Formats: sequence, C-alpha cells, structure tokens
Amino acid sequence: MAQTVTATATPPARVEDERGGSLLSAGVLIGPATVIVAMGLLLPICILFRYSLNQFKPRVMMVEAFTLENYVKFFTDPYYTNIFFTTLKVALICTAICLVLGFPLAYVLARTQTRFKNILIMLVVLPLFVGNAVRAAGWMTLFGSKGFLNVTLMDIGIISEPMQIMFTEGAVIAGIIAVNLPYMVLTLQSVIEGIERNIEEAAFSLGAGPFAMFRRVLWPMALPGIIAGTILTFILGMNAYATPVLLGGPKFKMMGPLVFGQFQLNNWPFGAAVSFILMSATLVLTATANILIQRRYRR
Amino acid sequence: MARLQLQNVTKRYGDFHAVRDVTLDVPDGEFLVLLGPSGCGKTTTLRIIAGFVEATAGVVLLGGRDVTTLPPWKRNAGLVFQNYALFPHLSVAENVAFGLEMRKVPKPEIAPRVAEALRLVRLGHLGERLPRQLSGGQQQRVALARALVFKPDVLLLDEPLSNLDAKLRQEVRIEIRQLTRELGLTTIMVTHDQEEALTMADRLVVMSDGSVRQLGTQQDLYERPADRFVAGFVGRSTFLEGAVEASGKFRTDGGLDIKCPNGSVGPASLALRPERISLGTGPLQGFDNQLPGVVDFVSYLGANIDVHVRLPSKERVIVQIPNREGGPDLRTGDSVHVGWAASTGALFAGAERGAEALR
Repeated sequence: MAQTVTATATPPARVEDERGGSLLSAGVLIGPATVIVAMGLLLPICILFRYSLNQFKPRVMMVEAFTLENYVKFFTDPYYTNIFFTTLKVALICTAICLVLGFPLAYVLARTQTRFKNILIMLVVLPLFVGNAVRAAGWMTLFGSKGFLNVTLMDIGIISEPMQIMFTEGAVIAGIIAVNLPYMVLTLQSVIEGIERNIEEAAFSLGAGPFAMFRRVLWPMALPGIIAGTILTFILGMNAYATPVLLGGPKFKMMGPLVFGQFQLNNWPFGAAVSFILMSATLVLTATANILIQRRYRR
Repeated sequence: MARLQLQNVTKRYGDFHAVRDVTLDVPDGEFLVLLGPSGCGKTTTLRIIAGFVEATAGVVLLGGRDVTTLPPWKRNAGLVFQNYALFPHLSVAENVAFGLEMRKVPKPEIAPRVAEALRLVRLGHLGERLPRQLSGGQQQRVALARALVFKPDVLLLDEPLSNLDAKLRQEVRIEIRQLTRELGLTTIMVTHDQEEALTMADRLVVMSDGSVRQLGTQQDLYERPADRFVAGFVGRSTFLEGAVEASGKFRTDGGLDIKCPNGSVGPASLALRPERISLGTGPLQGFDNQLPGVVDFVSYLGANIDVHVRLPSKERVIVQIPNREGGPDLRTGDSVHVGWAASTGALFAGAERGAEALR
C-alpha cells in the first residue's frame, strides 16, 4: 500500500492489499473484546457444563462422572420446578409491566422538544446509579414491618398491625421492575426516535385516530426495539439475584439465588446443572418468542 | 372536493406570530399555492388546515363545515409530505389502502380503489413492492395515490417536489397539475420555489412574516406586485432607492433622474425587471429612460445572459438579455447603454428596505 503509483497500475493487487489491511484492523478492533468474552464466558460455561455431569458426594464433594442425575433431580423434585416456575412467572410479569410502563415513557422522551431532554434521560437512568443492594436496603427501611410507612400508618391509626410488604412476591416484582425499567425505556426510546414524526402525522391525516395509529404504525415500526427491550428485561428478570434475596427474604426462592446457594453448599455439580437449566430456558424462551413475533410481522 | 375557507387565522407561539390574520377563500377545484421564504408561515398555515396545529384565533371551514377544532383524523384532508412519510413496513398497495381501511370501506371495495389510484399515478405494477424498493419519484407518486384514494375534500401538498432532482421535478409538477384538474381537487400547495409555484397554481398567495402579502394570479403578482417584498420575491427586480419628486419623476439616492409611473411624492423604491430593460453597445433611442453604463459583471446562464450594469451614479441595474446568435460579446468594463420605458418600473412608497429576493 505504500507504493501508490504501482498499486494504481495494478488494481487487483491493491484491492487485495486493502482487504487484507481492513481485516487486520478489524481484528485489532474486535480482538480484545473477543478474548475477554472467550476467556470470561465461553471457557467457564464449558467447565460448568462438564461439572454439571459430575456427581456430588457429601464429604468428598465433586466426583468425576458422566451422569444426568443432577438434571433429573431438578426436574423430578417439585421444590425445584416450583422455583423455576416462580422465576419464569416473575420474569414474565416484570417484562410485561416494564413494556406497558416503559413505552409511554420512552415515547414522551423520544418526542419531547424540551431542552431538558438530557436531564430527563438522566432521570430515567438514575435508578441504575444506585446498586441493587443499596436500593433494597433503602426499601427495607421504608417498607419493612418497622419501616417508615408502617410506623407512620400505625401512628396515625389507619392500621393496627404492620402490613406485610417486604418479603413478598409483589415486593420482588416491584424491585425487579425498578431495576429493569430503565433498560426497557432506553431501548425503546432510541427506536422510537428513529421513527419520523411525519409518519405518525401521515397516519393521522389518513384518518387513523391515536389508537389505530399506534396499532398499525407505531407498534409494528417499533417492534425491533420492543423485541430487544423485552429480551433484555426478561433475561435480567430471569437472572435477578440481589432483589429476590433482599426483598424476597429467605422463603422466596428464585433461580439466581438457588444457583449461588448450591455453590455455597459446595454442591458444584448441582449448581452447575441449575445454571445450565436457567441459561438454556432463558435462551430457548427468548429465541422462540423472537421467531414467533418475527414470523407474525415478517417483511 | 370542497371549498376551503380560512377566516382571520392566527397562530402565536408566545410573542412570536407564526401566522398573522390570514384569510383565504379557495373555491372548489382551485389549485392554490402558498409561496414564501422559509419561516414565512406557509407551512404552519398548511398544518393548521391539516389539523396538526391549532389556530390561536380564527376559523377554518372545509366544505362549509367548521373544522377549526377537529383533530386531523376527523378532517377529510389528503396530505403529501416533503419526505413522503410512507409507511416503511407496509407494501405500496397497503400504504394506499390505509386511508380506506381507516374509513371502514368494505374490503371488496378496497382492492379496486387502490388499483385505480395506483393506475392514476402510473404505478399499477408496483403494488407489492415496499417503499424502500422504489425511487424517490415513485415514492412521491405513492404518497400522492395514498392521499387521493379516499377522495379527500382538500389535497394538501407540503413542498412535494423538493426532494426530487431538477428534471424529474419538471415532469412531476405537470403530472400533479393534470391529475388534480382531472379529479377536480381543491389543492393547497406550499413551496418556496417560485417557478414551481408559477407553473402549477391557479392563484398564488405570497407570504412573509406570517402574513399574506399578496393573493392573485401569476400576472397579478408579476406585473402588479403589491409591495416591495413581492416585487423582489416573485421574479427578480433591481431596486433603485430614492424619492418621487413629482408625479412621474424619480430621483435616485445617487442623483439620477428617472421617468417612472405616477406615484405620491416622497421616499420610494423603484423596482425594475431585468428582462424589461434593453441593452445596446451604442446609444439607444425611443426609451423614456436612456442611460450609459459600464458592465460590472456578466453571468452566462445558457438561454439568457445577466449583465450587471453600473450606471453613472454608481448604482447598479441587472439586465437580462436573450442569448441570441450574433449578440454582443460583453466583458467586464465594456461601455454599454441601457434603456427602459417609464411604465416598466414599479414604485413602492417608503424607504422600506426588505429582503431583496434575488435568486
């Protein structure tokens, strides 16, 4: 590439040269991230999968084996399948509520003309500045049986017994929504911003009211963002750890804490199997939903 | 297809008047063009008619019905946007069918009407395509078909041609005009392109600063501009500043005495159309005004040549001469003579020095 003159005289050589150069620079650009992902994700997953086929013996811990007994144990014990379905239910509810709450918010953010737009976006992201644990701790002081809300209501005399807010499924769902909503809003906002306002106006001028416009134009056009946001919040919901532990209390079980619990008990094979079930279920469910939606709105 | 009336329509944003007291009466089937520079309020006026902007004051009547406070989807107005605003996820035929579906037209009726509308814009064979698979000109025609198919009371065109290249634009404007005439559509078009406006309009409205400056036919605007702004915006004018000393006598600031149409005594501007001034290399005869000058600048436009001539008073006039075979080969610094009839100039009283809209 250095000899431009010769290179121009023989164009094919130059083209190849450039392609080689761009491959090289592409390699430099994506290389480090690839290495980190491979080392930090793929390798552990492989090891984990191998572990999940091992046996667990008290005292000796992990024993080398090739058995599916950990998976069988999970799916035959209603204790574990219940945890799985609770997790699925919570994740689905959270995702649905995030979509319903997030879409209008994202729409307003995308369409607003105010110069405070950046501040508004900042406000949406703000909850993410507070870690899950800190937020949960804050909620405990607020909603606990001796928390601010219950104490105040009892002092006023509206209630005589403290309400059970903490350590319920509702508390966990609310907590996960609080964490996931910003992801949904930001994803939707960027997609809605890409839809020109003119297109909505065209629908209005053709006789579509706001609802018809939403159903026929905005929703299908925002679908890629809706899918992305939904997948993101669903995955985050399925894998929630801190929120179910802190807001759900010891009796409320979800998959994330279950995995960690098994490792704490030094049952690596079973923990690895639960991890794999969680990961596979999340993957299969999002992929299936994605395919179904794409098929329905295929263009 | 209906009569459209705007009565004293005003739109204010805080202290800013986007539209000031606009009154228009557009009879059924007329093609009216709103013409003006950007920010003159023409687009806001169109959006008030379409229902996207609510007028601060005034009334909009469509076919005698008061639609002032109706939302856009309850007005029967077909709108074509500058960027076409086609639905990218729907096929051409589905785009065109949209307005009919919203009006709950029975299914079996929709297909033939869509086909008919696409045939009108000569796109009958492309119904299955997606908008992004079409050229700009084709997309524009889809937008037109989509706005026509439900038989709107009024067709609104918002700079519909500005995204097309120059050659296509000339074809499409004739097509649109023929189509609206054939269908007897009341049409309002917004544009800043005066050539486009002059070719297509039955009548034109020149707007500036939110107000209507003049409403009339092409001849009205060109031959009898109501004010200095219109004289500068529609066609071109060279303005000479000065004062009317006595009826028919104008004295420029530079000290030239010029014969002009009758007007009241006092400070004024005299507007001269470049193509109405004659130019010769020797002294001219038979003109009310005959002056020597020096060529300052020549711009060769192909069919015409613009010659900027500096008069003895250092004031400048632009003369447009046809590019005829054997015409003078003018260069900067050449001595020339210019002449024009007293009736050529248009007088505007007052020392108002608005924007001279030279192209």
